[in-house]
Amino acid sequence: MNKSPFKDIVPFVKDTIAWNLSGGPRYQIFLCVLAATMVIGIYAYMVQFSVGLAATSMGNIVSWGFYISNFTFLVGVAAAAVMIILPSYVFNDKDLHKVVIIGEVVAIGALVMCLMFVFVDLGGPLQAWHMMPVIGHFNWPTSMLTWDVLVLNGYLALNLIVPAYIVYCHYHNRQPNAKRYRPFVFISIFWAFGIHLVTAFLYQGLPARPFWNNPLMGPRFLASAFAAGPALITVVLIIVHQVTRYKIQPQVFNKLRRIIVVSAIINLIMLFSEIFKEFYLPTHHSLPAIYLYFGLDGHDSLVPWIWTAIGMNLVATITLAFNPGDNNPKVIFPACILLFIGIWIEKGMGLIVPGLVPSPMGEVVDYAPSWVEICVTLGILALGIFVVTVLLKPALIIEMRYEGTSKSGD
Amino acid sequence: MDPHEKKICQPSGGCPSSERAGCGRRDFLKAAGKAALLGGAAMVTGCSAGPASGEAMKLRWKEYFKKHYRLMTQEEKEETVARLERLAKLKKGLDVQIGSEASIEGVLFGYAFNVSRCEGYMECVAACVRENNLDRKSNTQYIRIFELEHGQMSPEVGDGKFFHEVPVPDHFYMGVQCFHCDNPPCVKACPTGATWKEPDGIVVVDYDWCIGCRYCIAACPYYGRRFNWGEPVVPKAEITKKQHYLGNRLRHRGQMEKCTFCIQRSRNGRLPACAQACPTGARVFGNLLDPDSEIRFVLQNKKVYRFKEDLGTDPKFWYFID
Amino acid sequence: MYRIFSRACLKDIPTTNGAVMKKTFTIVDLLVLLAAVLVLGYSSMAFSGEPGVTEKYKNAKVPFDAAAVDVIQDLPKNTVTVRQRYRGGLFRTETRKDKIARFKCSQCHNDKPVTVHQAAEIAHGRVVLDHGSTEKPLDCYTCHDREDRDQLVTEGGQRVDMDHSYQLCGQCHFRQKKDWVGGAHGKRIGYWAGARVVKTCASCHDPHSPHFKKRWPVTYSSPNAK
Repeated sequence: MNKSPFKDIVPFVKDTIAWNLSGGPRYQIFLCVLAATMVIGIYAYMVQFSVGLAATSMGNIVSWGFYISNFTFLVGVAAAAVMIILPSYVFNDKDLHKVVIIGEVVAIGALVMCLMFVFVDLGGPLQAWHMMPVIGHFNWPTSMLTWDVLVLNGYLALNLIVPAYIVYCHYHNRQPNAKRYRPFVFISIFWAFGIHLVTAFLYQGLPARPFWNNPLMGPRFLASAFAAGPALITVVLIIVHQVTRYKIQPQVFNKLRRIIVVSAIINLIMLFSEIFKEFYLPTHHSLPAIYLYFGLDGHDSLVPWIWTAIGMNLVATITLAFNPGDNNPKVIFPACILLFIGIWIEKGMGLIVPGLVPSPMGEVVDYAPSWVEICVTLGILALGIFVVTVLLKPALIIEMRYEGTSKSGD
Repeated sequence: MDPHEKKICQPSGGCPSSERAGCGRRDFLKAAGKAALLGGAAMVTGCSAGPASGEAMKLRWKEYFKKHYRLMTQEEKEETVARLERLAKLKKGLDVQIGSEASIEGVLFGYAFNVSRCEGYMECVAACVRENNLDRKSNTQYIRIFELEHGQMSPEVGDGKFFHEVPVPDHFYMGVQCFHCDNPPCVKACPTGATWKEPDGIVVVDYDWCIGCRYCIAACPYYGRRFNWGEPVVPKAEITKKQHYLGNRLRHRGQMEKCTFCIQRSRNGRLPACAQACPTGARVFGNLLDPDSEIRFVLQNKKVYRFKEDLGTDPKFWYFID
Repeated sequence: MYRIFSRACLKDIPTTNGAVMKKTFTIVDLLVLLAAVLVLGYSSMAFSGEPGVTEKYKNAKVPFDAAAVDVIQDLPKNTVTVRQRYRGGLFRTETRKDKIARFKCSQCHNDKPVTVHQAAEIAHGRVVLDHGSTEKPLDCYTCHDREDRDQLVTEGGQRVDMDHSYQLCGQCHFRQKKDWVGGAHGKRIGYWAGARVVKTCASCHDPHSPHFKKRWPVTYSSPNAK
């Protein structure tokens, strides 16, 4: 085939769009629900855009809230794709190789959401270009936030390029050239650790916030991410398995389950270590932890949440570890959702808000997201699910077709 | 005010928010037929009204694409400042003078606060709010005064929201504001370099360059920075018209701001508003590099300490006790 | 480094070779880590290279030339040169006499007879003397001269002009006076640069009752409002 590559792209794009538009009524309703949620999100953002961040519940004490909480958590979800990429490309795990595309697409969805969450959190969205290198003023390498911008966008690019290339080759029924994409795969593996460590450093590097200024934060971010991310991927796989004709091997679930259990246990050990440090001999720097776990000065809005999260983490970890249903989706599915939500609470609001409360001047306030924050967040989540859907649908069709032809060709 | 401009301002009345809404509607009707570029410009620059809208729009367009203040040449700075003055005239009918004075050679500003003299009257806070055109709607204040009991040392354990007759026996008062750290964590955190330390030691913000990510708030161990969550409101009659680009000029929503040691005053040799307003003489301000200055006398002859010195921020703000 | 990559990337590495592969990755891993540490380390070095502020001011020994400040200093009217020098030389303080409503005192306090009830009304009948300790309270003549009512008088019997009342206060409050001359007590008026003009003791303290009065603060703080 000596044709220009651009000529090949046109039918590829056309088919991708066509496949996305086709689908049963349930699929159409699903898309409509996503679209409606996104519209609600856009409306809420318009409100926020016109009155400013005053539309949120944030203030000069809790200056980061729901948006940044979700951002932090989703960076972990994005990074966790590496737990599938690493075994499938480096250790040539055939089972996981079949679902690697799903892991990568989930990572793309998570990254899109991350970038959106950072964007909606900006007070001056129209000034965002000030941060771009060359036309703006990119305060690199001193500002950790610039590092985060670099690694997130880089990781998004890597996760777009590799699967796009492979799927594109498969679409044209060609064997992708490993020499071309493998270097990117390996870079993306390091990059995955990078994005989550850098995001942890964003907080970890601030002596102003003793709750965050903790060397365990980076490793703990990774551990919790490698539990929550594969949990989400498991959920997506179960859905794919049930809803589409793309069937997932049971041993995939078992492998993912093991990854989740190991990571969740490491996460719990680190959590225990942190709790021990805060409460064995509590100091002034333990106040955020006291606020989080028990409440302070009559403010205790996070207390029920964090205990629920810890309970969820424990139950899910034990369930997944002892595996009572023998990888039965009916057990794994709720357990993974439980773990995902548990880590979401703990690493989202449970991490960001206590970092800011008490304020550097010792003031304690409560924070709960406003309706604008909730609607914008829902909209962004819908966008993320939408991105995953529209990328995954054609990708799976192409993969199935490719597998069929290559099998018949053998 | 010439009649031409009066006509523009009439529908706006005094309230900036009604002005905004009023102009916005008219702008939309006008812009309906206009090119997409103009529409984009309107979105970028907000609303504009009446026959002068052309000029205001052009100025706002230029404003939007202006450079980082530190990268401007002196001519560009002056041009920008003139543009802002003209915009204030067009939009609000205000005659402001915005300065762009650079820091003075051989000056490093320092501040000392006498904890045994402050009586908690909060005169400094009120003076600061007036001088720096702080948002009245959200009651934004750069300075905070904490009431501490004898035996306490840090504002973290004190009461920063007292409102009762002062001084209360067996209590003392400690004021905090931006300490203009010599090693400022906020400057290190800012992703766009919109906040920096000037050669005279003042940590400033280029309000128009700030993207409002609020990483600097998270990085500041002193609660020294304030964010404009909504559009700030300052009654027109109370606006301080002598302004500085890096100081008390009017800010907008989504921008970070902070104490600048009243840069518009201090760079002209005057005391900051807080030091001027203090009725008890608890506030000492001056040039750290001048061995004859009052601040140097305090540092040499008094027992001074700095708040959270262990964080290595190296603040240029000392507390002392008589 | 690319070679390490490409070798590790060969598709057909048998799984038994896992140990070798792991080793190559540790090397790459370390290199990346090292690079990151170097970059981060460098960026923080760029900050710590500067001397601290204490060092900066301690090394500054040349007096500041106020002429460098481009400012027209509108000095307060009615000041007198203080009869004492501070480190920077002479300085001025606010006058008092023009602020006392019925100065000169000798207008009334003279040989002519004065009706007592009238005096209480127009002059200083309401003055409450709350100065000094309870064991040893002050009286009018601790500071005011019995003979020359326009002047104050020290313990040693030396007459002091009202405009230089700080000399009188400084007898007991010598610590405060030393701080006032130096700049740690009292306050400058208007400017940190240029000619030094300070408030005098009685500008802030009522000499008859020098403690600051209890009153409501002019405002309050609401730190999380928006």
